[in-house]
Amino acid sequence: MDEQKTPKKVVVVPCSGIGKSYGAVSREAAYVITEDLRPEAAQLVALSMLVLGEESARRAVAGNPVITIDGCKLACASKMVKENGGKIVQEIDVLDVYRRHKEYKPQGIGQLNEGGLQLAKALAEEVTPTIDSCTSAGQGGSNA
Amino acid sequence: MPDLPRKKVGIVACSGEELAEGTVTRLAALKVLEQLRPGDTVTICLPLFLAGGEGDRAFAKFYPTIAVDGCELHCARRATEMYSSKPAASIMVREVIAENGIGQPANPRHLNTAGMQAVDAVANRVAETVDELLGTAWDRRTGSFVELETVSTAPSVEPETEKVATCSCGSGIPVQKVQINGREVTLIALPLIFQQLREDGKQPADVTGQELLDTVRIYNPVAAGEEDAYRAVLLQEYDAFCRKGKPA
Repeated sequence: MDEQKTPKKVVVVPCSGIGKSYGAVSREAAYVITEDLRPEAAQLVALSMLVLGEESARRAVAGNPVITIDGCKLACASKMVKENGGKIVQEIDVLDVYRRHKEYKPQGIGQLNEGGLQLAKALAEEVTPTIDSCTSAGQGGSNA
Repeated sequence: MPDLPRKKVGIVACSGEELAEGTVTRLAALKVLEQLRPGDTVTICLPLFLAGGEGDRAFAKFYPTIAVDGCELHCARRATEMYSSKPAASIMVREVIAENGIGQPANPRHLNTAGMQAVDAVANRVAETVDELLGTAWDRRTGSFVELETVSTAPSVEPETEKVATCSCGSGIPVQKVQINGREVTLIALPLIFQQLREDGKQPADVTGQELLDTVRIYNPVAAGEEDAYRAVLLQEYDAFCRKGKPA
């Protein structure tokens, strides 16, 4: 089988930081991507499993294009994916998206406010072109 | 003795995104941090043990820590032990669910009713464990419980009234590296010790190497036979700390 024509899922790894709203936005954005916008093309991988180097999580990031979503400059998601041999096709920082969408001020961690939910949606929409590009390339599409 | 951070309990949740139980750990931890025991608890993001600095890795040694896991992989417990120090306690959502006869949590993004019941049950379990741990003596040198007769070395604490979740992301425990007998040693809390001494108005000439060593020893192991080297280096470092803080 021609490997180029095997559709690959894009792996999404959010930081899910627990101390700040931006971490909660990263988590929500990952759900928006994998459940609402591109459920067939994207899959979620839990960061905690990558911290431990758990085999199924390592395989997922090593064998698929990866999008990381980080809530602060420490970039835990990106660092962990790289540590586990993953190929990151897009690193996105919630703070950068917020700078572009100042109207969506996130508040809350366990329960994001409306601004946080909108920011997560805006972030998710920013990464869908990357997912589309990766998946159409995997299917031998014209975006390769 | 310096007025270092009061004894708090660390909470590390797995926050697993793929399972509803992962969301339960996250929301339960937040409930304890923000509502049930806000002044007594602190948290840190699990990946910081690897992605952060030495201060982050000192977390579970400095704070007796409760690992809260969603499933049998025990990512929080194992990663905390592997990269920081053995957690003082470990709580698993599925076990709490079984013990309380709660239904199966579903939908990690928007927990169902059983999931929210599990959040309450796990949060209560964590809060009870916090209370138990606050009643025990914790040795920050070794990251383990100590016998009561040695409790006198623990720092004195004053109650706080803080009512927000305390996050250690990126801040960790302040550490400083020093050279002892030609090798690099990381000393937990040394910047805080120096800061406190300076705030107390003590100049380098006012403190002795033994005084510094006694305080450093509360938080760090000091190998037998190296005391002289520690005394000299600590005096040197405190002198450098005070010079650095002087206006030009």
